[in-house]
Amino acid sequence: MKEIIKETIAWLKKKGVDYADIRQVKRISESIKVKNREVEAVSKSEDVGFGIRVLYKGAWGFASSNILSKGEFKRIANLALQIARASSLTQKEPVRLAENEIHKDKYVSPCQIDPFKVSLDEKLNLLINACDLMLKKPGIKVADTTLNFFRSQQLFANTEGSIIEQVITESGGGATATAARNGETQWRSYPNSHGGDYATRGYEFIQEMELLRHMEKISNEAVALLSAPDCPAQETTVVISGNQMALQVHESCGHPIELDRVLGMEISLAGGSFMTPDKLGNLQYGSPKVNIYADATTPGGLGSFGYDDEGVKAQRTEIIKEGRFVGYLTSRETAPLFKQKSNGTMRADGWNRIPLIRMTNINLAPGDASLENLIADTKQGLYLDTNKSWSIDDKRLNFQFAAEAAWEIKDGKKGQMYKNPIYTGITPDFWNTCDGIGNQSEWHVWGVPNCGKGEPMQTMHVGHGVSPARFTRVKIGGAK
Amino acid sequence: MTGREKIFSLLSPIVKKSPADQTETVIINGQAGLTRYANSTIHQNVFEVNSKIYFRVALGKKIGVAATNVLSKDGLKKALGDAITIAKNQRETADFQGLPDKLPYKKLKTHFKKTANLTPLQRAEIIKKIFEKAAKHNLTVAGAFSTGESEIAVINSNGVACYQPVTSANISMTAMSDNSSGYADDLARNVDDLDFDQLAETAIRKCLDSKDPQELQPGEYTVILEPKAVAELLEWMNYIGFGAKSFQDGTSFLSGKIGQKIMGGNVSIYDDGNDDQSMAFPFDFEGVPKKKVFFVQNGLAKGVVYDTLTCVKDKTKTTGHALTPDTAERALGLNLFIKGGDTNLKKMVESADRGILVTRFHYINGLIDTNNAVMTGMTRDGTFYLENGKVKHGIKNLRFTESMLKAFSNVEQLSRQRKLIASWWSDVGCITVPAMKVNRFRFTGKTSF
Repeated sequence: MKEIIKETIAWLKKKGVDYADIRQVKRISESIKVKNREVEAVSKSEDVGFGIRVLYKGAWGFASSNILSKGEFKRIANLALQIARASSLTQKEPVRLAENEIHKDKYVSPCQIDPFKVSLDEKLNLLINACDLMLKKPGIKVADTTLNFFRSQQLFANTEGSIIEQVITESGGGATATAARNGETQWRSYPNSHGGDYATRGYEFIQEMELLRHMEKISNEAVALLSAPDCPAQETTVVISGNQMALQVHESCGHPIELDRVLGMEISLAGGSFMTPDKLGNLQYGSPKVNIYADATTPGGLGSFGYDDEGVKAQRTEIIKEGRFVGYLTSRETAPLFKQKSNGTMRADGWNRIPLIRMTNINLAPGDASLENLIADTKQGLYLDTNKSWSIDDKRLNFQFAAEAAWEIKDGKKGQMYKNPIYTGITPDFWNTCDGIGNQSEWHVWGVPNCGKGEPMQTMHVGHGVSPARFTRVKIGGAK
Repeated sequence: MTGREKIFSLLSPIVKKSPADQTETVIINGQAGLTRYANSTIHQNVFEVNSKIYFRVALGKKIGVAATNVLSKDGLKKALGDAITIAKNQRETADFQGLPDKLPYKKLKTHFKKTANLTPLQRAEIIKKIFEKAAKHNLTVAGAFSTGESEIAVINSNGVACYQPVTSANISMTAMSDNSSGYADDLARNVDDLDFDQLAETAIRKCLDSKDPQELQPGEYTVILEPKAVAELLEWMNYIGFGAKSFQDGTSFLSGKIGQKIMGGNVSIYDDGNDDQSMAFPFDFEGVPKKKVFFVQNGLAKGVVYDTLTCVKDKTKTTGHALTPDTAERALGLNLFIKGGDTNLKKMVESADRGILVTRFHYINGLIDTNNAVMTGMTRDGTFYLENGKVKHGIKNLRFTESMLKAFSNVEQLSRQRKLIASWWSDVGCITVPAMKVNRFRFTGKTSF
């Protein structure tokens, strides 16, 4: 295959392209879902193909195919070239790419236990046992469990001479207990909602999750929520759990710093950004306690890799420094705007998609407080735990999140449980009220496997290293 | 495109010779091009050829599923082997009553050559004209224009052999000024059914009319929701409430309410895969012909959609709404409709003393309280304040947090004309809805643009 790719690259060079790259990808996946002890789905999937991206006279073309023959490489290369010519029909300014080093390398993500070699029986037993533990609790109607495993093998080559092989293994899963009574349902999840937690690691990540140890707690809490009062509307101090902070960072920081979005390239679907170029270096995004960075080298992070999908080495970039906005996620096309090189965030959801600027691991640096201390140091407020719903406007300013559960904090102690808590705010106003961030021992890299962007839609796997954090003067509203 | 005969001759022998007790294969095969533009420049322009073949096998009541896009003999053999290995190591699925039998399905014309053959250059030429129209008003345009063809076949060891070729053409455009935007889109099986000029004019007019938007305080307002906004709400209602799984889990807003009045008497919501006024598709991914299913009829909760597995629990029959074999969600509506009324958008606006006209929503989330279909989301790309039956001015975007059971109980008017709105499953269906005038719709927040 390497030879065919090299020949195709040589052919494209002869055709006079400004730049071209080819990615050949094989992706295998396994998905298991067990609900109420019954196996709902077990499936394996193999997806193979290649995509060719061509920059010709400053305009882009991309074509892709699942047929891996020499003739098809030639046909698709030619088609990508024709598409680039069509793009040039409306070209105003030709695209110029930032320089990049030539890399000849191989990257393999860490994986102690190959999840594809662990028996199906062991995986099913884990999930069935988790269901058993949840269903022990009277009032639990639905016990949902899931495991997902992915392995992506990619060969990247470009007209500048880079040839990069990458093998990335991902594992993840979780459980949700749903309680029902009189037409009302409430649920609690572990370790996170919407499918659990994910990492670029092997089956050891699932073992370390200790799923079975947490089923009793989430079942008890789901049932307790049915009798809990609705969270009262108020303006108060909130301490937010780590898994909810992951989504808070994702929606209100991760997306608005994507430079393609900032430049209007995503405006028709996902929207724009309030973090416009004039705000770089000037915007006080958060309080001085807030430090956020993008880091594609975070060990085990779901957004970790060796090289991005245009061959730029994985790296760390400062985004928010002591509350001030200092950096974007960039690509080779967009970085020249600031006379910079790309910071390596172009990622594609498979061989048949072009790379877009995507989050890697967008991490909130740990502070110096334990969760215990954040709560103990709060006179009146709420503790909000685990995401239930999320929504944010198309410039990433007005957000609203619902959490699965809340607890009143009074005189430094967790008390009354509340159901249906919702909090809302305006991004920089909210982050500027941050007055405490959990320390390193509370810090965890949460994997978010369902970040959507682009047309055709691309689902990206990204990570967020965060600790619980505290914010003041937060508007809380009820669902009713 | 491979064609009916070639697909059947490739896959039927594999199904026939499979050592499993029962075997089903689903193939989705096709090619599509998408041209994306922003700042009145084509910045992304892509083409894809791909196939996906699923094998679902049963050994007794043990089921295994595997998928591949490798169409070689070895690739198909491996996928079938993987499905059998999974089934061997599986637990029994108590509700599995066997794969469906062969049933006739409606003949529909869903493939149009011109749509299938539209070139990237032809797409670019159409888009260029839209840019030129916008430039006359000093506006830029962003959006996407896609065309493609696919073929879907389902074959099983009980004799099911379904095949349907489809095309689709979908364009969206947002006209942009410094402080306003206007949106328009359309979808069709036949690219000739898209009126690019009219769409561009709509987007441009909305952008110009909403310039210098004013701030409006959140609160309860009469709203006129254009079809795109209605479809976005309905898409979430489908996800949280119209499938058998959420209904049986008790999380659906229809759970325990069948026969009860849950919406206004003028509201009927249904799924109909055979209505060729929309993006019709006649069978599901088990090869079962699609039945028309009412979720809500004249305000009364009526039912949900099923596949052959989920129907067993409720002692009913499949409605022909199975999703692909790897999907744990099992069944959802893919050809959603809201019955039209007897008015039009212009008359709706004229009937409003004071209200808000919403072009579309952004980032709706319906997981807040699924039993009451409580959702939140933002307005975008053309939100207007109405007074004395006229559009007064554009307004800055607002956040709603509202129960759809309440909102759909307060529907005062529906337009006769309905519009096709694309969703993620657009090859096999879409959402076809009227505009709606809804009283006392709750906005809970605002933003600065």
